[in-house]
Amino acid sequence: METIFVLLPLALLIAAIAVGFFIWAARSGQFDDLETPAVRILFDDEEPRPSATSRASKTTADSTRRVPE
Amino acid sequence: MSRPRETAPHGGRALSPAAVRVAPVTCAHCGLPVPPGLVRDGEKEQFCCSGCRQVYTLVREWGFDQYYRLVDQQQGALEPARVTGRSFEDFDDESLQAEATENVGADRRRTRLYLEGVHCTACVWLVEKLPAVLRGLDEVRLNFGSAVAEVTWRPGHTRLSTIGRALDRIGYTPHIHRASRAEEARRTEDRAALARLGVAAACAMNLMFLHGALYAGEHSGMASPYETFFRWLSFVVAVPVMLFSARPFFRTALAGLRTRVVHIDLPVAIALAAAFAASAWNTVRGSGPLWFDSLAMLVAALLGARQVQRSAQRTALERADSLRGVAFLEFARRLTGDGPDAPAVEVPLSALAPGDRVEVRSGELVPVDGVVLSGRSSLDNAVLTGEAAPLTVREGDVVNAGATNLGARLVVRVDAAGDKTRVGSLLSIVQEALSRKPAVLRTTDVMARRFVQALLVLAVVTGAAWLHRGPEVALERVVALLVVACPCALGLSVPLALSVALMRAARSGIFIKNPDALERLRKVDTVLLDKTGTLTEGRATVARWQGEDVVLQFARALEAESAHAVARAFRNSFGRSIWVVRTVEDVVEVPGQGIAGRLDGHDVRVGNRAHVEADGGTVPDDLARFAATVVADGLSPVFVAVDGCVAGVAGIGDALRPDARGTVTALRARGVRVRILSGDHPVVVARVGAELGLPAADALGGLTPEEKRDVVARLVTGTDRAGAVVMVGDGVNDAAALALADVGIAVHGGTGATLVAADVVLTREGVTPLLDILDGARRLRGVIRRNLGISLFYNAGASTLALAGFVGPLLAAVLMPVSSLTVVLSSALARTFAVAGPARRRLDSADRSVEATASLAEGRSAKAEA
Repeated sequence: METIFVLLPLALLIAAIAVGFFIWAARSGQFDDLETPAVRILFDDEEPRPSATSRASKTTADSTRRVPE
Repeated sequence: MSRPRETAPHGGRALSPAAVRVAPVTCAHCGLPVPPGLVRDGEKEQFCCSGCRQVYTLVREWGFDQYYRLVDQQQGALEPARVTGRSFEDFDDESLQAEATENVGADRRRTRLYLEGVHCTACVWLVEKLPAVLRGLDEVRLNFGSAVAEVTWRPGHTRLSTIGRALDRIGYTPHIHRASRAEEARRTEDRAALARLGVAAACAMNLMFLHGALYAGEHSGMASPYETFFRWLSFVVAVPVMLFSARPFFRTALAGLRTRVVHIDLPVAIALAAAFAASAWNTVRGSGPLWFDSLAMLVAALLGARQVQRSAQRTALERADSLRGVAFLEFARRLTGDGPDAPAVEVPLSALAPGDRVEVRSGELVPVDGVVLSGRSSLDNAVLTGEAAPLTVREGDVVNAGATNLGARLVVRVDAAGDKTRVGSLLSIVQEALSRKPAVLRTTDVMARRFVQALLVLAVVTGAAWLHRGPEVALERVVALLVVACPCALGLSVPLALSVALMRAARSGIFIKNPDALERLRKVDTVLLDKTGTLTEGRATVARWQGEDVVLQFARALEAESAHAVARAFRNSFGRSIWVVRTVEDVVEVPGQGIAGRLDGHDVRVGNRAHVEADGGTVPDDLARFAATVVADGLSPVFVAVDGCVAGVAGIGDALRPDARGTVTALRARGVRVRILSGDHPVVVARVGAELGLPAADALGGLTPEEKRDVVARLVTGTDRAGAVVMVGDGVNDAAALALADVGIAVHGGTGATLVAADVVLTREGVTPLLDILDGARRLRGVIRRNLGISLFYNAGASTLALAGFVGPLLAAVLMPVSSLTVVLSSALARTFAVAGPARRRLDSADRSVEATASLAEGRSAKAEA
């Protein structure tokens, strides 16, 4: 039973880390817009093009982009 | 006036046999019917206007065809696209860039653009796809609710003006959006509130577990080292709740005390402080009850209710806030050479100096105060002054910023720009009035004072009653009383009832930005109505018609060829599409008289009496009589002759809305004094007042915006008033009055300034929603009263138990959620505002996105109710 003296604070510590992440997310504005992300996820890409979501790799995709006019 | 347009046929009505009905061709972009004149033979796609054609072509060219499938999926109806064709060169201005953009990393910049024309979620897709085709544009993130896009680009590869043009060409007119301090503050506060709620909820849940173990241990026996360990752990978990989450309660309670106002947070703060202090002391000394779980639950529940209210308000606030960041006038076309035909460059208003020359194209807003140097045109001042009739201007005439140029191009010498213009100073009055708007004491705050008094008396009685058992027991009883008597349900009832009311109101086309407004509407003394745009449509329409349908169709088809004010009235009334007339030839406009042409082989003349009689026609007696009644109603008669025979008369003017009379009568029946405040000519206003059955003294015309504001200010500060002063308006000239009134209501189609200034924004046509707001406010009061009754009943019962010494931490932990739940249910089931049926009215695109956000909020509230 003595193990509870270790496990309980440990559990609370993990909970505290989770809450810490939540505070960070809230403060950095991730909950500011609750509507657009909910609809954004519904858009499927039909053609293979640099998509709106895989933006990380996009700087290298410059050469494949079409420029208007 | 008889009901306008009653006799006017609309597009769908059966026409007489003489007319041939052609199957409508629909626009490939927006799906609206294409006028026959614009149908191009042999083309697969047809368009209703050049805007739609441009947008469609570009969207296809960029390979974004999926957009149209998404629009279908979202069941979003499109509006005809608007492409301004601006160069957006002013976006590249250095001072503007320094002010409105920020650096991200070494070579990227970011700014926020408010996009006009965002109407459904497919727009999010399209706008965020732009980086795929625009080199140097790195990222676009569009917030659908506020229609503000965050744009990141690399200045080395592209310019902001290029991005602006691209957005414009796919139908979204971009505007530079400057985050206001109020918006910044609200966002920070929103984020902090969410973090506080998260901490409170997490701690409350963990405390429930820990206390569950303690309660169980109390029942079945628990070895003392474990008990001590659990007690200390719950103390540790409760600390962040007190120090972080509960801070707003202490802050408002203290602030209230300083200004000698007892806020509802005061009894909450007292309960929290007493419970925490007693529990902490009991933890340290190792015996006595702990209240940590009740305390954390209380904080979590109250913060949760406030969060719900916040998100209900957000729907209405977001759009207004984003409009607040957009300047009413943004740019001017400055001439860059000598002579009136020198090329123009778009510059921000801050770059203009007095003496500069700017051009104002047809359909654009005059950006500056100044004098016309060349050109003749008519200006629409309705938004600025409330005058319904257009004003003719020529060389040497003074023009004011904010007027719409209805006619030809003008060249204007700049006398003042930006804040120094008349409209600029009006808008700064609005800002000032908004910042001074007093906070109003809410019902619960009055309740709170009595509550605190009763609580203190009870605490003394309890303490005295238990003193014979020793001070320790007495203190414990007092703490128990303070905890169970804490007005948790009282604190929940108002935000919850409010947020349900706000969501229901939003669904019925009433966006309440400031919930205090509902409280102030409890008793209404005076309703002040603007005339142009509020009681009337705010633009000339064909208000009356006598004659055959076919004749009207001919008149419409002929007027479709003209840009004259009468032609606009026809378009305003019936839209652009005409089916019955197939050929229009030999159109001749006679200035000051009318227009003539050959339609499907018939000679048609539309214009004044002299114009139709010039062709040999005579006006029959019945039509002449009708024309006389039209004139008596303050409208202008327009005669229509077909093949030399005068066959119809249209009454054209800014007619009263169909629901104006009924609404005014209903308001007066409730004992509300109704007055008209208008900038239009006193004679016109007097006639409208008489038509509505108002006494002559209550129809004030010829008021400048400043005078309007002063009238409102006098009424608001008056001592003899029996209730709130409500101002209803739509134009820039009403904005200051709206901000100053107890409750400002902006009607559908109002300018951005009124949306910012008003407490309530209507997205439904007409003035009938006024009655709905009053009814809703009354019902909301009933719900709040019921909730207060429930919570007081609980508090009285619990206090009696505490006084008798029956209440321990466990009972308190059970009683609190039960009472709160009753209040939640009572609020959720309340029918404060009638929700409009599924039949939706046609809305303009800006409103539709507000509507869409409302329906999203609707889904959320449905979830909350479940």
